[in-house]
Amino acid sequence: MSDTQWSVFEVFHQPVRGEPHVHVGSVHAPDAETAILMAKEQFARRQACVNIWVVAAEAITATPYEDADIFEHGTDKSYREAFGYETTKRAKAVGDSADL
Amino acid sequence: MDETDMTKTLTPDTLTPEQKAAVIDLLYRLADDSIVMGHRNSEWTGIAPILEDDIAFSSTAQDKMGHAHAFYGLLHELGEPDPDKLAFLRDAKDFRCASLVALSHIPAETDGETPELRNNPTRNRLVTFGDWSISLIRQFLFVEADVMRMHALETSAYAPLAAVARKIRGELKYHLMYAESMLRHLATGTDEGRKKMQLALNVVYPHALGLFEPTQHDKALAAAGIAPAETQLRDDWIEHASPLLAAAGLRQPTNVEPVFGGRKGRHGEELEALLADMQKVFRLEPATTW
Repeated sequence: MSDTQWSVFEVFHQPVRGEPHVHVGSVHAPDAETAILMAKEQFARRQACVNIWVVAAEAITATPYEDADIFEHGTDKSYREAFGYETTKRAKAVGDSADL
Repeated sequence: MDETDMTKTLTPDTLTPEQKAAVIDLLYRLADDSIVMGHRNSEWTGIAPILEDDIAFSSTAQDKMGHAHAFYGLLHELGEPDPDKLAFLRDAKDFRCASLVALSHIPAETDGETPELRNNPTRNRLVTFGDWSISLIRQFLFVEADVMRMHALETSAYAPLAAVARKIRGELKYHLMYAESMLRHLATGTDEGRKKMQLALNVVYPHALGLFEPTQHDKALAAAGIAPAETQLRDDWIEHASPLLAAAGLRQPTNVEPVFGGRKGRHGEELEALLADMQKVFRLEPATTW
């Protein structure tokens, strides 16, 4: 079944300059310029936003779900986690994390 | 900074009686244009041809409602009734909007039965007979004028108005981006699209000229640096819109008789029907707290 809709554009939205753009959804549009105009109202009408990216969905390369096992850890790799560092307790004790 | 600059800034307390009357009239024109335009555009909510346009149009309508509220607030500051009363309890004859904003989305002389769509009869008619090209061309012509007018008012000598104009600049920037983009896309699309846009332009253009209906206050407003003359705005608007319409493959109507009267409270059935709809709920219980 062919899709008679306009192309899909994925929308990314930056809440504050300097922070990462976050994926918020998608719009159908005939081109990138229109996608931006639509995305501004679809996704930025409530939350704070200073910048929007739109990316044609076909420009995105993704891993297939059937290969999700490449992300699994076959052996214990918990040494990668930082659970040994108890900075929060020490910061509270001092009263200001800048003094550490 | 020299003394003349300082004395030029006007506030509610420093307006002369003539200037105050002129500012009040100007604010009614701005507010009434905004609220009626906002209401008209909100009629498409939920039933516009394209989902994303529906949301964009609805948001733009909400922006205009916000602008109206700000202008009614400025009127209240000058001794006029509070914004709710101004918006919901005045009759059509007291509104000073141009005929352009009250134009229905349904072409005049449209006749016929609508299928029972389980909406209300007004929305049935809009879904069945609504002409999206009228809505879009009206939006384009209005927004071009609105942006031009509000940009000039950012440096108005009347400080409270200049403050509002500066605050809404970002919203108007988006309205302009959207309107110009839509015009370009539609008119340079298919032949059918261009034909529809041209027909809509021919119908709507005389009403758009009504946005610049001269008033008895024009001289006082220009002399005090509060607002530019309507004829100046009109000429700037025509000069700015012409190349955009031409680039979109549309023929700008010439030798057109402008539709005047709106600024003096002379309106047709369309505004009365719109206000009956918009004011209905408030008028049921005017004293209620919302």
